[in-house]
Amino acid sequence: MLPDGALDRLQEGCKAIATRCKVLGIDSWEVVATQSYGHQIDIEGGKISLAAGGGEGGFGIRVLENGKFGFAYLVDITSADKAIKSALSIAKMSPAVEGFVLPSEESAAPVAGLYDNSVVTLSSEDLLIQADAIMSEVASLDSRAVVTGGGIGVSANASAIYSSQGIDAAGITTSHSAGVQISIEENEQLTSSWQSSSSRSKLPDVPNCVARAVDWANLTRDPIKIESSSAESAVMMTSEGFSPLFSVVVPNAIKGEKLARGESFWSGNTGERVVADDLSIIDNATIPGGRSSGARDDEGVPTRKNTLIESGRLVGSLWSTRDAAQQIAEGRIASASSTGSAIRSGHQSPPISGCSNLFLTTKGKVYSYDDMIEIIDDGYIVNSVMGAHTANPTSGDFSVTTSSILRVENGEIIGAVKQAGLSGNLAKALKSGIKLGDDVRSQGSYSSGSMYLPNVLIEHGLRVNPA
Amino acid sequence: MVIAKSPDSATHSSNYRYLDVDKINKSLDKITGDGAAYAEVRLVAYTDYSATIRDGKLERAIPGQEIGATIRILADGAWGVHSTTDITSLEQQMSPTLKLAQAVAARRSPKDRAISLADVPIIEDSLHWKPKKDVRNTELSERLEHMNLFNDSASGHDNIVSVTCGWHDEHIHTEFLSSEGMNRTWSFQRSLINGMVTARDGSEVVSYRTRFGGEGGLELIESCDINELGVNAKVSALRLLKAQRAPSGKMPLIADRDLTGVYIHEALGHPCEADLVAAGDSCLDGKLGQKIGSDIVTVIDDPTIRGGYGAHPIDDEGLDTTEKCLIKNGILTEYLNHRETAAHFDIKPNAGARAQDGLHHPLVRMSNTLIHGGTHADLDELVEDLDYGVYACGSRGGQVDTGRGSFQFAAQEAWLIENGEITTPLKDVSVSGLTLQILKNVDGLTRESKLAAPGFCGKGQTVPVGDGGPIMRISEALVG
Repeated sequence: MLPDGALDRLQEGCKAIATRCKVLGIDSWEVVATQSYGHQIDIEGGKISLAAGGGEGGFGIRVLENGKFGFAYLVDITSADKAIKSALSIAKMSPAVEGFVLPSEESAAPVAGLYDNSVVTLSSEDLLIQADAIMSEVASLDSRAVVTGGGIGVSANASAIYSSQGIDAAGITTSHSAGVQISIEENEQLTSSWQSSSSRSKLPDVPNCVARAVDWANLTRDPIKIESSSAESAVMMTSEGFSPLFSVVVPNAIKGEKLARGESFWSGNTGERVVADDLSIIDNATIPGGRSSGARDDEGVPTRKNTLIESGRLVGSLWSTRDAAQQIAEGRIASASSTGSAIRSGHQSPPISGCSNLFLTTKGKVYSYDDMIEIIDDGYIVNSVMGAHTANPTSGDFSVTTSSILRVENGEIIGAVKQAGLSGNLAKALKSGIKLGDDVRSQGSYSSGSMYLPNVLIEHGLRVNPA
Repeated sequence: MVIAKSPDSATHSSNYRYLDVDKINKSLDKITGDGAAYAEVRLVAYTDYSATIRDGKLERAIPGQEIGATIRILADGAWGVHSTTDITSLEQQMSPTLKLAQAVAARRSPKDRAISLADVPIIEDSLHWKPKKDVRNTELSERLEHMNLFNDSASGHDNIVSVTCGWHDEHIHTEFLSSEGMNRTWSFQRSLINGMVTARDGSEVVSYRTRFGGEGGLELIESCDINELGVNAKVSALRLLKAQRAPSGKMPLIADRDLTGVYIHEALGHPCEADLVAAGDSCLDGKLGQKIGSDIVTVIDDPTIRGGYGAHPIDDEGLDTTEKCLIKNGILTEYLNHRETAAHFDIKPNAGARAQDGLHHPLVRMSNTLIHGGTHADLDELVEDLDYGVYACGSRGGQVDTGRGSFQFAAQEAWLIENGEITTPLKDVSVSGLTLQILKNVDGLTRESKLAAPGFCGKGQTVPVGDGGPIMRISEALVG
């Protein structure tokens, strides 16, 4: 999957572009490069519909002149001069940010578990075998269940960064992921569930997501009639159900520049209690094998563990180099510096601030799934929501829909609910009555980074509106 | 990773070809000789420019260029696909891609039908939707002038904490060659301006987003009253600061054009996509010819509406695009399809194949989706009959579970309707329901139907779309 010398070629490309920067008289420059290679199998309607492979990549150039930056991206090194000149002309039109300089080289401790050679050696044929194994497992778990959509993918992603400030780093990460949409249709009733698994290392032949998807497609069958109308209720959201909402709202709110500009619902609350006393929120790109881990951030600064909320109090925020310099220069804050939290959308964008692996933790008691259900006198379990991306990241308000919801009364699941609305304000809901589960699972994200979340019982602040 | 040639001024000419047609055609011939039933190469070259200003200051400007190509080979009734930014490697990748397809075919069980393709006309031509003002010739300073108009009109209130304005334009050039002899080149442009106003009052913080754009060049942005766009966004953001939480429960709903468009995109458009129907993941499976909506509901999907954000002249299988009528007076008349699903259902291909870019294979997708107008004169006429309900405006997006037929979409702002009048401003209104129930609850449409703000649709791949219609009334919807 990964061609010999792939990383060397990326680094050579970076250096060739850097040479052109120097020839064109630019003192401060940064070149990044990405190249991905992968295989993918798509499953549709209970069968393998397609096998695909390929690779893509390119270069990004950031130039800096007197605190003004410009950026351009390209795919063809021979057009570097054009891209550099374009970036330079943009820099000349950009506002100067006093004190903004590109980050200097600092040594970065390697992060283990980001590359697995057994992923790289997986062939399309191996993935076809895995797809068959998944579909066989689904059939054995429930003969009515069909994998109506999904697939398996492996990739190797090479990246490099080279800058005038002495940063010269490169590396390869791997990824193996699987996702399944399981549908069960019987007696004119169709239920379904989407679940996925992803890892830097090789996944088991049948990842956990498969049994979970079959489970939830089954659990939501034969819905009961709910007589109650819209009401505030205790809601236990599984990690899978909670993650989309959390990832739309929270990563945005803990960016330093959002806090400084007054664009976060936590703006002006530094040092104050913003969530329940026993909760902490931590961003940590140094976790071995983490889905969004790396030794350096996307502008080459060494990553670190950033505690953002500790025992309920807002104590930190996420910064890239430029965002920090800009907010100081514009007088919104007295001091800030990079927290190793620069992220990019590949080579096509300059860095901005963002999270890596975001953890929600508690110093209080943690609960098993069954223990949590026992606590609920009158409430619901939600395993997925529709429309999480429509949540308002500025205010924390959301109003979503779920068809993957179970009714709980007196500590017992009494049945599924066909469909329900779920609304509230996530920032307010996190302030009290939160209980966390004992099984942290990593999830993807609607914004940036990865969410490491357990099941979450929210006792107040959410309204459930059964259809 | 090395690319044969990047888009630059020399390639502004519509006649420029990135692919060596003779060489690619020879390799397509060879691969069919080696066992492929069908093979194609589709290359897409993008030249794009995006920029953002924040509170009147340039935050970032990004000129970019991308080239990607995808080989798709059908062999023994199965697909193999290879995508790459290295277009010099296409000929070498034909044989491995054929083997991929054959490997998939070898695993097909006897009960699964082999994939085949519906017949289509074979065309050799070039088709370029030329804008009045080629957006590639726009200087950053001119882009900034337009964006600053938004900033100036949306700023200027103590409660406004920030104004962000974004710009994105793109020139899309596609080349398509197939083993059947298809040899087509087409191009068009899209231009977009968007804005977000954030307002704060004490601990209450809200934001309002707006967009204008479509298929076309700079002339499209010049046709926009950006000042009005900014003023309206500011007024809406300030109103949201004072708005109340929406009531929840089942009630009548009136949706403006933006929301009508999102509703019809989510609730009907996606379940009409024939690849989902064929996969057993659509609530509209087996419902062609059946009454699924009220008599006043007629819905089209039309990529030929110039200026719509989902407009494109040729689909990504090389077919001329055409209007599709999905529902006629409440009766489901047509699925959106591509060649594979047209053959599957033994229906006429209707050019519904779209890929995100040159690095993705085509799926069945919507383009510009609209409900036809009805008989009500205006919003007042729809409101006056209602004792109680909600009038919701502006889209925050939506989502659908096509198999169950349940959907959700969210409004940017809303008002309560009481005794035939629009009264209290509301925030965070979302609407959910079941496609097969709610289409029957559409009981009022204003006369004029047109596209609303541009949007993006995700289905594993993201594509630009246009949605819209008239102002629509639904007699009962679940509002949250």
